[in-house]
This record gives sequence, C-alpha cells and structure tokens, in this order.
Amino acid sequence: MTAAKLFRHETILAALTVIAMIVLASLSDKFFTAENLLNQGRLMAEVGLISLAMTFVIVTGGIDLSVGSILGLTAILLGVFWKNLGLPLPAAILLAMVCGTFAGFVNGLIITRFSVPPLIATLATLALYRGLAEGISEARSVRGYPEWFFFFGQGEVLGVPFQLWVLGIATAIAAVILGLTPFGRATYATGANEVAARFSGIRVNAAKLWIYTASGFCAALAAVIFVSRVTTTRSDMGTGLELDAITAVVLGGTSIFGGRGTIIGTALGLILIQALKNGLALSGVKGDGTIVVIGLVLIGAILVGALFDRNRGG
Amino acid sequence: MKKLTLAAIVGLGLMSGSALAASAWTGGDDLPTSPLACDGTPAAAVAKPYDGGVPTNPPDRKGKKITVVDVPKLIGIGYFNATSKGIAGAAAELGNVDAKTDGPTKANIDEQITFIDNYITSGVDGILFAANDPVAIAPVLKKALEKGINVVGYDANSTPDARQWFVNQAQFNGIAKSLVDNMAKEAGEDAGVAIVTSTFTTPNQARWIAEMAAYAAQCHPKMKWLETVEAQEDNNLSFNQATTLINKYGDDLKGIFGMTSVATPASAEAVTQAGKCGKIAVVGLATPNAMKPYVEKDCVKSVVLWNPVDLGYAAMQVLRAVADGTLQPGATSVKAGKLGDLQVINGSEILLGSPYTFTKENIGQFDF
Amino acid sequence: MSGAAFSPGRSNLQRFLSGYGQEIVVLLSIAALFAVVGAVNPRFLSDTNINSIFAGNAYIAIAAIGMSMIIMAGHIDVSVGALIGVIATIAGTLAVKGYPIWMAWSVPIIFAIAVNAAVGTLVAYTRIPSIVVTLGMLSILKGGLISATQGEWITNMPAEFMIAQMRPFGIPSAVWFMVALTIIAALFLRYTDFGRSIYAVGGNMEAARAAGINPERTVIGVFALHGLFAGIAGILFATQLQVIQSTVPPNLELTIITASVIGGVSILGGTGTVIGSTLAAILFACIGSALIFLNVSAYWLRAVLGLMILATVLADMVRRRRDK
Repeated sequence: MTAAKLFRHETILAALTVIAMIVLASLSDKFFTAENLLNQGRLMAEVGLISLAMTFVIVTGGIDLSVGSILGLTAILLGVFWKNLGLPLPAAILLAMVCGTFAGFVNGLIITRFSVPPLIATLATLALYRGLAEGISEARSVRGYPEWFFFFGQGEVLGVPFQLWVLGIATAIAAVILGLTPFGRATYATGANEVAARFSGIRVNAAKLWIYTASGFCAALAAVIFVSRVTTTRSDMGTGLELDAITAVVLGGTSIFGGRGTIIGTALGLILIQALKNGLALSGVKGDGTIVVIGLVLIGAILVGALFDRNRGG
Repeated sequence: MKKLTLAAIVGLGLMSGSALAASAWTGGDDLPTSPLACDGTPAAAVAKPYDGGVPTNPPDRKGKKITVVDVPKLIGIGYFNATSKGIAGAAAELGNVDAKTDGPTKANIDEQITFIDNYITSGVDGILFAANDPVAIAPVLKKALEKGINVVGYDANSTPDARQWFVNQAQFNGIAKSLVDNMAKEAGEDAGVAIVTSTFTTPNQARWIAEMAAYAAQCHPKMKWLETVEAQEDNNLSFNQATTLINKYGDDLKGIFGMTSVATPASAEAVTQAGKCGKIAVVGLATPNAMKPYVEKDCVKSVVLWNPVDLGYAAMQVLRAVADGTLQPGATSVKAGKLGDLQVINGSEILLGSPYTFTKENIGQFDF
Repeated sequence: MSGAAFSPGRSNLQRFLSGYGQEIVVLLSIAALFAVVGAVNPRFLSDTNINSIFAGNAYIAIAAIGMSMIIMAGHIDVSVGALIGVIATIAGTLAVKGYPIWMAWSVPIIFAIAVNAAVGTLVAYTRIPSIVVTLGMLSILKGGLISATQGEWITNMPAEFMIAQMRPFGIPSAVWFMVALTIIAALFLRYTDFGRSIYAVGGNMEAARAAGINPERTVIGVFALHGLFAGIAGILFATQLQVIQSTVPPNLELTIITASVIGGVSILGGTGTVIGSTLAAILFACIGSALIFLNVSAYWLRAVLGLMILATVLADMVRRRRDK
C-alpha cells in the first residue's frame, strides 16, 4: 500500500476544503480573517475532540452513539459535585471526568465481554447516560462558576483560544498513535478482519476496551470545555453531537466498515464542515439551506472518492 | 400586634410557598416565586434601576438603515414563525430596517450560540434573540455588546446584563394565575390536574410550572397536582402522553395543563378522542388557530396566550428605538408603532401586556 | 440465530425456541410488563389503554418492518424520521389543497419509494456505505422541509383523509395495518425468492452473487420496500391528529432502529424477523406507558428506559451464547 493510495481520499478532501475556502472567502470578506478562523476553532473544539476518538472507534468497525450523552452526564456531574456535594471545583472537574471516562469504559465492557454489537450497546447507553443526567440533575442547571474556570472555554494562550491548543495537541497525539504505533496497527487490523487479528496475536478486546474508554474520556474533556464556554450545566447538553462527530469522521474518509481511515482525514472533514457552516452563514445563506449543502457535500465527497477508487481498479 | 402576626403568616406562607415550589410540582425550577394576589390586585411595582447591558461605542445609527438578525430558539415551528412574521412586519413598516430570521433547527444551546457568533462576525447592527438558556447565551451576547451591536431579547430572557432590553410577553406569575384560575373555574377547586410540558430543561416552562405551584398553593389550596410529563415539542408524543394520563387516572383526572402551543392542542385531541369532553378540562398556552376546532366543539373553554406576532413586532420596534437612541436607560415607556406605548418593568424589561384568554366568543377574530 | 440454527437431534420445541428466541424474549417481557403493571394499576389493562398503546405507536412498528429489512440486507437508514416528517407534510398539504383523498395518500408513498430507491441505487452501485448516504439524506430532507414550510402547521384536513382515526370493527385502523403488514412482510421474507435473497445479500454479498442473486437489484428493491413501509407509516402518522406539524419528529429514527435491533435483527445483517421488530416496537410503547403508570419519577424515566433496553440486549446475548 503506497502512501499515495492511502491518502487518496484525503487529497480529494484537502482540495475540496481549499476550494470551499476560496469560494467562501470570495463570497464574504469577513470569512478569511484571523479572528473569524480562530473563533471557529473555538466553536469546533468539542466536536473535534469527540471526532478524534470516534475515528479510532469507527476504524475498529464499531460506533459510539453515546458520546453526546456522556458529555451531558459529565457536565451535570461536574455541577453536582461542585455545588451539591461542595467539592472544590478542580476536584469536581477531575471526578466528573473520571466518571465520564468510566462511562466509556462501561461501553467497552458491554461490547467486549458480552459481545453486544457496538451500535446496540451504545444505543442503549445513549438513553441510559442521558437519563442519568436528567435524573441526577432533576433538570436543574448549575450556574455561578468562579471566573478562573471560564479560561478553559473562553480564554486564550498566545492569542489562540485555549481549547484550540487542546484540540491541536490531541489531534497530533491521535495521529501519531493511529498512524505510527503498534496500537494503531492493532486498531486497523481489528477493523479489517477481527478474526484474523485475533489469530495473529493481537489483543483485540483490550484494544477495543481502551478505545471506547478513550472515547468516554474525550467526551468528558469536551464537556468541561463546553461548560466553561457556556458558563452553565444542563442535562440536555451535547444532544445530537454523535451525528456531527460521525459525519466529520465519515466525510474524512474513514470506512464505516472498519479497517480504513486517518486522523488527518477526520481533521479535514471537521474543518470543511465548520468552514461551510460559518462561511455560508456569513455570505447570507440561512441555516436550513446550510444543512442541505452539508448533506450534499457529504454524499458528493464520498461519491467522488468511491469513483476514484473504482477508476484505479481498487 | 395583629398586623405583625398577619405579616408573619403571610411571610411564612410566602417562604413555604417558594420552598415548596422547588419540589412541589415536577418540572418547576428552583428559583424564587412571586405569586400574585388571589383577587388579582396588582403587586405594587417596585421601581428598579436599569440593569441591562450597554453596547461599547456603538456607531450613530439614528435614522440610518440597519441590518438586524433574529435568532429564535429554533426555526421551523409555528410559534417562532409567527414572531418572525411580526418582526418582518415591523421592519417593513419602519422602512429603514433589513431584518431576517435564522436559527437552529432544534432548540439547542450550542447551535444557537454558533448562529449568533456568526452574525456578530458578519457585522449586523442589531440582534434579536429568544434564549434557549439564559446563562449559556450570555457570553456570546456580551461579545455582541462589546462590538457595539444593539441586543434585544424577546420570549425567553438572558441574564439582564447580557442584553439591553427584553420584551416580556407576559409576566410569569400573571400567566400562572391566569392558567390556574381558569382551571379552578372549569374543573373545580378540588380538581386533580396533570401537566404536559415540553422538557424539564426549558426555562420558560419550568418557570411557569413553579409559579403555578406557588399560586395554586396560595389561592387554590385544594387543587391536587398529580403528575407532570415531558413530551418534547412533538405533537404525536404529546398526544400519547396525554392519553396515558387519561387512561391512568380515570375519573381522578379533571384537568390537563398544556404548557406549550404543541402540548395544548394535542391534549385537547387526546381528551376528544377519549370521549372525555366536558369531563376533563384542558387549559393551556396555545395559538388560536390550532385550538379553534376544540373551542368550537366546547371541548376547550379557555386558551391563554399573548399574540406572538405582536411580540415580534414589539421586539423589532424596541430594537429600532434603541438604535435611534430614543429608548434610553431609565425610560418608563417606549413607543412601539401600532401597539402604542409599552410600559417598562423590572429595570430593563418591556411588557407587551397581560396574557390574553381566548374563548368561544372571541377566538374567531384571531388568525395566527 | 433466528431461523437458521436448525440442528439435528433437537426436539421441535427446542428448535422452535432457538428459531424464535428473541421474539419469545420480547413477548415474555411484554407479558410480564402487563402482569406487573396491571397488578399495580388495573387501569393499565383496560381496553382503552391497550388500544391507545397499540394505535399510538403502530406507525413506529410499521416503519420498523422496513428498517428490519434494510438491516437484514446489511444496511441502515438514519433518515427515516425525516422522511416520515416530509411524507406527513406532503400528504397533509395535498389533502388541504383539495386533491382527491386517494392522491393525498398515494402520492407521498410513491415519493417515499422514489427517494429510497434513489438512495438504494447510490448505495448499490457506488458502494458508498448506506449510513453516509442516509446521513446526507437526513440533512437534505430536514433542511428542505424547513425551507419549504417554515414549520407552518397544517390544519382543517378533511375527515375522510384521517385514515388512522377510522375504526373498522371497533379496532383502530392503525392496528389493523400493523398486524396485516407484519404478517405479509413475514410471509414475504420467508416464502418469496426476493425475500430470501434479502437474507442472502445481508449474510454474504459475494456468496449471494455466486448463488445467482443480483445483489445490486436486491439492495435497490429492499430500499424501495422500506420506502413503501415508511410511506404507510408516514400517512398513519399524519392522520392520527388534527394537526400536522411540518417538522421532523425528534429522534424518531433512533426509536425505529432500536425497535428493529431489539426485535432480534442482527445489525451485522443476514438474520432476523419482522415479527420480532413489531413486538419490540410494542414493548417500547408499553414501557413508555408503564413507567407513567408505575409512578416512576419523570426525571428518571429515560434512565429506566435505557436500563431496560440494556437488560433486554444483555439477556439476548446470554441466551445466544447458551444456544451455541
């Protein structure tokens, strides 16, 4: 497998992103400014973090529909630990993130120990985790966080939004792990052919357990950033986020059947969607029109990728 | 001495009222309540200084053409379609406003914030909003104020300092009194009642339920709350939930409160299809068009609502007045086109009026 | 595995149990639910309540039949909720505009079949995963519907249009549709060549091709069939109430997919029955109603629902393992 073959979809996507950027910039002079682009980075951090872990999940041939609910649950727990249990805020943040990560671990456990298909397992925990968030909070918000906490969601480091640093670093780490380490190779092997992977000595279940736990961790991290950005917690936070993340990953060329996909592709997918949402809004297209365009781009991009595949006899 | 005891009792009553409100009726929020007097004596208005925000160095927009974007909680539902019509109507009447409505397709705080953020970047002069969450929306609105944009809310408020003015369709305690009084009249003082709401996290609905619980405890103490169910903003789910309530409680259920313009007609439909018209009263917030069939068949006697078209119209007028500088902090009223002078309350809110009760006699005159 | 695990040396009963294991689990769950909740509050067992549970959710069961076929063929459709919203809106608009009632019923169904046949064609010939195509379709239908209607409600529909409210022989017509379509679909899957080819394609596409089945045509056919069921579900959805909201019903696709998979349709394709998915849709409706009857705190309702789904899934997995 040559590098050119591996990056084929990514190349098309990169070209598409560049074209979209040029078109959008020509439609509105407010689009291609440092301020706007950095701000968009801030807005896409939560979906971005979740998409990174989702890439691993989908490469193994799985899916995680519960990420939005884990985000909501972590947010609620953060508020409850701090306000109702009176823990110091840093401890509350840490503990809530542990719980969110644990929720991901439970997903992994159900999937590996009981061999429940991931779609069904996370469909059930999607309802369960959201339900826990609603029950624990009794639908009440927790507000009034101290000023320093807002740094994670609203602060800047060297003129770049804090969460964009987090997203950037996380992307680099994820790219290295998936692309260059034995764990990454195990992930691909699991998705390409699970039985064969098992026979070649790869600890498939351990890999999956790690990946679903990481998915929970990313959702929990996104929750903290989200709460800090909007300064309040609500049990309905993150509803529908799973579809946004899956869309970005799939647009990035990761095969839903597993075995194929890259972090770079996911990053490009994320950027393209965010640029379209923002750029179309700036050039006067309304929200309902924008989602139609995103739907068309999703099908179109994958279609072009598939046609290229076929022409090369892949 | 007598006076003191009375004051103490009233005070205690108020305290327990508000303490109860936090848990009395499921679905209410835990903010303090302020139920109105049972006989409708208006509470003495407490003069409050302006507590809204101030835009940073706004350009002089007096009489100039301005572009305004309206970001409701969500688009594609009848209620915000109506407010959007009002906004467009006022913009057309004013002639110097370029207004459009855009927003998320589901009531989602994150998406609403993203929409507002994009419009700040695109450089609008004014933002109208109906908040999905009063606190979550505050940072992005403050950002708008910092950029010198005029910000006015309607329907669902944000924290006061994140916007300049808020056009209040009707006070929470006023709506609560109107709903509970109508229910007591139709279903009886000791009626068992249930509530169909959207979601427990929707701020306006949670506020109304808390105020209703407080007002009922004070003025209709025998009214028995049975249950609150969630039904999103979904017609079929609302119908199913209301039907389940009817089947569950049988004759113990005398009334259903519909807390949204979706839940109320669906509850009326459930009562109709169960053949319980006249036995179970439906009282709620709803738009007249959706309720006409039930009101005309005498299945529903009273529907409470403000006119959402007027609400949008007033919001647009207020925004223009703010941009022109004719509405300044400290004002006691504002001229809102064909609606006349609207009163300023609570420091930085503009009151559209009292909630309106539609009945069989007058519902035919309304079309929205 | 349903329908396929016939091994010699087992009694008929055992064979039956392993063939319809998941259906039996779901059926027993429904029975247990009726027994427990009925004991707590006998009104749960009243014919009005049972009627409302069935009639109010029949459209979900019907859509789940089509979804089951899609999943059996190894695909998925996440746009079905949006499609049902669009169908309801088209049907209501035609009815109100004064077109003949048969047109108001049939045009949206034909539209649904056409849309899904197009999706099926894309999926079959370009090999783009169905989740991608339907995710895109979800956006297109949803955005398009809002652009077209702005959420304007449709009211004043003629009485003869309201097919879901008719009650032949005292039973709501939605229930008749649910029962009839489930039986027809079950027979169709079992006894027609096309029905069997759905399982074959879902099990192993290349093996199916080798066996003389045209997998592309089967995929297009199954999507079109799914469109037919979604269309009928959409018409029932539209005519249940006096108002059509012209929006996409929230989370409907998740409910439908969950009903299919809980009903025993393996998400990996190749197995499952539509009787199971209909039973699962009924189970969900019963749980939703039962939790209210049992006075479960409304705040905890969704958590309990999630737990019950999880319990059903785990029970099924344990059963399958024991069967092996």
